[in-house]
Formats: sequence, structure tokens, C-alpha cells
Amino acid sequence: MTYRIAVAALLYAMFLSGPALAQSGDVDRGEAIYQTRCLQCHGDEGDGLGPAAERLNPPPRDFTLGLYKFITSAFDADLPNDGDIIRMIRDGMPGTAMPGWGDLLSEQDILDVTAFIKVFAELEGAPEGQIDHGAQVPTSPESIAAGDRLFHASERCSECHGVQGKGDAVKKLKNDNGDRTWPRNLTKPWTFRASNGVKDIFARITAGIPTTQMPSFADPKSKKRLSIEERWHVANYVASLAKTDKVVRPENTVIQAARLAGALPGDPDDGAWAQAPPSTFFMLPQLVGRERFFTTANDTVSVRALYNDTAIALHLEWDDRTRSLPGDAAAKAIADEELYEDAFAVQFPVTIPRGMEKPYFLMGDAAKPVNLWRWSSGTTDKAGSIKLIDAQGIAAQEVRESHGLTALASYKDGTWRLVMTRPRATGTPDRDLQFEEGRFIPIAFFAWDGSNSEAGTQHAMTTWYWLLLKPSTGAQPIIGAVIAVFLIGGLLAWWGRSAGRTPS
Amino acid sequence: MKIPRLLQAVLVLAGVYFGFVLVFDVILDAVIPSSLLAMYMFFATAGVFMVFTYDEEQTRELVAPIKALVEDPSKRPWRNIVFAILPLAAGAGTYVQMQPSLEAPLELRTIHPAPPSTAKIYGKRVNLLKLENPFRKIEKEDPDRFRELVGEGAAVYIRNCQFCHGDKLDGRGPYADALNPTPLNFQDVGTIAQLQESYLFWRITTGGPGLPKEAAPWISSMPVWQDFLKEDEVWKVILFLYDYTGHRPRSWEHE
Repeated sequence: MTYRIAVAALLYAMFLSGPALAQSGDVDRGEAIYQTRCLQCHGDEGDGLGPAAERLNPPPRDFTLGLYKFITSAFDADLPNDGDIIRMIRDGMPGTAMPGWGDLLSEQDILDVTAFIKVFAELEGAPEGQIDHGAQVPTSPESIAAGDRLFHASERCSECHGVQGKGDAVKKLKNDNGDRTWPRNLTKPWTFRASNGVKDIFARITAGIPTTQMPSFADPKSKKRLSIEERWHVANYVASLAKTDKVVRPENTVIQAARLAGALPGDPDDGAWAQAPPSTFFMLPQLVGRERFFTTANDTVSVRALYNDTAIALHLEWDDRTRSLPGDAAAKAIADEELYEDAFAVQFPVTIPRGMEKPYFLMGDAAKPVNLWRWSSGTTDKAGSIKLIDAQGIAAQEVRESHGLTALASYKDGTWRLVMTRPRATGTPDRDLQFEEGRFIPIAFFAWDGSNSEAGTQHAMTTWYWLLLKPSTGAQPIIGAVIAVFLIGGLLAWWGRSAGRTPS
Repeated sequence: MKIPRLLQAVLVLAGVYFGFVLVFDVILDAVIPSSLLAMYMFFATAGVFMVFTYDEEQTRELVAPIKALVEDPSKRPWRNIVFAILPLAAGAGTYVQMQPSLEAPLELRTIHPAPPSTAKIYGKRVNLLKLENPFRKIEKEDPDRFRELVGEGAAVYIRNCQFCHGDKLDGRGPYADALNPTPLNFQDVGTIAQLQESYLFWRITTGGPGLPKEAAPWISSMPVWQDFLKEDEVWKVILFLYDYTGHRPRSWEHE
């Protein structure tokens, strides 16, 4: 038995050390793997023009250029490290269609594929320089404050990444291929292609992101150059931006609306909203109904809700790099070919479902219609406005006069904040949802980024979640608890007494 | 050493409880709803009680420690402690129970509902029992042509399906996290490996809205693919799904 365990342990150890022993990949084996696993996106010729390419944002890497974005070799080296390519294959790239292949491919497979894709650009040998990490500065309030100053000083980073780090560029950025690129929204760690660990952020600042307009801040010729220590400060600051309460928690599917005694805050920037914790949900492109859209700009929305005796208010917050203002020259300059208004809609069923059955999640159907509260941001000629829409499917929408539905929005530093308010009850319960306390109300969201050609059926969306107007329970639970204590206590005392009298 | 019967019963129930938590929360990575857990534990408790009170001897052995605690004067301090804790626990439990539930309602749905015998697909009535993949026979007749067809299916898949079902067909596409219910994992032996090609054809072409009620068609985000893809494209995608995962479709023939 022990012998067997020893052999198993030895085999396991060999398996673990195997990849370390294997020095190089086999190009022919790599080609075979490439044909089954990679070609659909990266193309037969490795040029990133596989059948999926036009529907992907960011587009698949073009291996024929030999340029890689997430590197640890020096900014002026002409090659990435093999490890940089291996890591992208093994772990994938969050926020893109590139999955991590580590569970399907062995370390040797990945080495083989790496060897093969280097052939497309005839990359050979090792890079000449490596980035110099120096001595890592551990994160601290002082280091973060220093990084904050360097980030904003002469708009070193904030020029593209925005004052709040939301990537709300004022410039139209393109990569070397002429594809549109966007500066990273640094408050969304789940979109960092090569992780948002401090060391990775340091590597990006130091080596830059080749093919994009993210420069190297280690380049001695750069006016914005930073010392190694300064780069650690900026990395610590950027890492700190990711610590936000607006992250998706998959188990949280219920927006809890708290009850207020007085008036509801109608202003999205009102401090009273701080008492309602945000629920954040992922959004996906509208891929289900005609006409589809594949490359949306919004990926999350954060929702808060408050209510009182008469009304309910929803606070919606989502990051948008561009304020899309049709008629405005600056907005036009940064937009795609078409510039539409930004828009946002909240969807409710017309009546709260009694059983499981809800309206179809994508704007209802003929049997079960939905209410849409659709806000649009306005143009230079007209202010933002909100409409009430009855929908029986994505192609069957009708605007109706709203019953006291109002909206107020603000845009600042790459973030839209929007408050929608409506009376809880209306005179037409057969057409409008009535907001009852303590009931689980299905709710869904739609968002349009007008600078990203999103309009009509082309938008971002969520599936159904829940809104709950948290009922006030009063003193009932306390009374119930006291009764339970006396009831059980009394029974036990009686048992104890009668047992004490019985001779055993 | 013999474990007292009462402790045995408690240990069995604890084992069942943590077993459920382990299977659901850890292995399946889906937190078990408390109402479901309560139901399971009710049946487990009833079962354990029945087994442990099978005859009188066993019943006596089971309740002996409780009897001793209440009646044995030497255990009085212990009894007093237990008798003080129990009412307080009951009070706390009642208080928690009377709080309004903040947990989302349970949505139990059938993932692979029984297919209808016929369905209207591409404008014609199709008998799903007899339906076969027209390209399947080419696998043996002309392997080279079959590889081409699989490749064409792969291109359709990558342009349409990977967003949710993923490049690796593991249900972990870039937008999988935004969906509820989550996209199906075709690599899993419990999905397409258990199904016939005609079933896949029905599920793909009629999508979420084509599901029967027990499968909650209103929440499925599966598009109605007959609106987007041609019939032969769907059959090619099905070839690709089986080819890539290495699964074989189920069939009526006994091989």
C-alpha cells in the first residue's frame, strides 16, 4: 500500500515538474491544435480574420504582426517573452472572447501552440530586454496618494483614463490596425485583460501596451516618464480604484428597496441615495431578437431603490465613456459613424406574477405584456425625457401617456446617474404595475450607448432580476419571540417539575 | 467504544446536512435554497427517527440520555443550562422566521423537457421521432467531406453561439455571467451526450420560446435560431457540437 502511494506521489511529482522540464514547443503539434482550437477566431492565416472576427470587440489578435499587447519584455524589445503568450493562452483574457485554455490543453500543448503562432511573424529567440521591477513598493495610503498625484499631474494618465479612472476619453483612439480602442475603465477589474494584480498593472505602465496608444512610462524619451518607484505608486493607486461596491455578486438577484418616512430623493446626486446599497448586474448585448448587436459598450448597471407611502424611486448608475449628445460637435467627433442619444430602460411586468410565469424576458410577448420606462438623454435641441412604453415583444412597442413617471439624470466623469420616480399606485392597474410591499417584482434593464451606434433593437440588456419593497415588520417578530420563549420555557419547567416528582 | 444512539442520530443528521451543503454549494457551485434544504432535512429527520425507533429496545436506548438528563438529580446543573438555552433558542428562531424573506423565489424548471412528437419548424410540420441529421451518414461515406461540414458548423457556431456557450463549448462564453438560467455546457456528459440530434435540432430552431411551460420559456435566453440560421447550418452546428466535444449523439439504433 505505502509502496503504491509512493509511486503515485512520484508520478504526480513528475507530472508537476514536466512542464518545467519541457523547454520548447513542437511547431507541427502546435499547428494541429491551432487548427481545432484557435482558427475560428484567429483565422487560417493567423491574421485575426476568422469567421468570428467582425462580431468580436476587441478583435482577435493578428499573429502575422508579431506584436503582443500584454508583455513583460522591455518596451523597446522587439519580442514578447514566451511566458507572456503562454499566459494569455492558459489563463485567457477577461472581458474578451478569449477563454483560458488551461483546463482543455496541457502545458505541453500550450507550448506547442505558442511555438506555432510565433511562426506567423517569424519570431525567433528571446527578447533583448526585460522590464525592471526594481523594489516593489508595498501598497499604503501614502503610496496610493502619491500615485493619485502622478496619475493626474499634467493629465499624465487622466488624459485618457479620465479623472475618476472610468476611461472616459476625450480623444478618439485607434490601434495600429485602425480599429477603435478604448482606454480601460480602471474601476472595472473584471475587464483587465491580464489581471489587475499590482504587478501586472506595473508591467502595463512600464512596457506600455504595444499596438495601442498606451505608452511606456519607462521610456527615457517620454516627457511623462516615471521612475520605477513612481510607477509602483501609480500601480498601487490604480489597483485601489478597483475597490468599489459596484461589483457583481452573482448570488445577489434581489434589489431591496428601503422604506423612507419622508420625500424620496429625486436628484441622482442626492446624498440620501447612500443609504440604499447598490445591486450590480452584468449586461450582455441584445443577441436574441432581430436585429442583433454584438459589440455593446455597457457591461454593468448598478441599481438602488427607495420607496415611501406613495411613490417608488429607482437610482440607476452605469459607466459610459461618452456623453452622446446629438447636435454637439465634440460628441460627434468621438462617436462611431452614427451618433444617437444615450438611453436606458427599466422593464416590469404589467402585473406581479402569482406563480412562476413571467412575461418573456426580452420585452414581453402578446400574452404577457410589459411596461418599459424608457429614458433618453436628449440632444442639443431638446432636454432628456422619459416615456412609458407598453411592449408585447421587441417589435411591438407603443408609447402611452405616463402616469406621473418622471426622470432626472446627471453625467459626470464617465458615469451616468439616473433617477426614475413613479407613484406606487395608478388608476389603471390593468395596464400599469402597482408596487406592493413585500412582493417579489420581476425587473430587467436595457441600456443604449448612442456613441457606439446603439439604437433601436441594438443595445445592452439584462435578464430578469427582482425588486422587493422591503416591508416594515413593526413589533411582530419581537412579540412572537417573547411568546416562544415563555411557551417553551413553561413546558420545560412543567416537565422538569413532574419528572422530579416521579421516582425513577 | 459504542457511540450512544442519540449521538448517532445527531451525527447522521449532521452528515446529511453537510452532505447537501457540500454537494450543492461546493461541488455544484450553486448555493442550496434554504427552503429546499429545509424540505430535505425534514424528510431526513423523519427517516432517521423511524430507523432509530424501529423497536422498543432501540427507542428506549435513544431517549435514555434525555430521560437521564431530566430525571437524574446529579445532572441537575446540566438540565438547568439546557432548559435555559432551549427557550432562548426558540425565541431567536421565531424572531428570524418572522422577518420578511429577502431570498428570491425558487424557480424550479426542467432543463431537458420531453420533446413534442411534432413541431413546426421552418414553416413545416416536422416529426421529431423520425427526424435525422441529413449529414450524419456522410461521416462514414466521405470522411473528407464530413470534416468540411464540421468546419462549416464551427464557423456558424463561432459567429453565433460562442457569446454564451463559449469557445470551448463549456457554457462559459464571455456573456455567460449575465445570463440566468446559465448557458448549457456541452462538454458535460449530462447534456448533448444524452440527447438525440433531432432533440438538438428542435431546441436550437425553436429556442427559448419553443420550450414547454415546465421549462420556463419566458426566462430562457436561447434565441429562436430558425429566424437567423438556415436549416442546413443548424445541422452542421450539431455535427460540430458532437465532433468538438467527442460525444456521440444518442440514436434509436443499438450499436
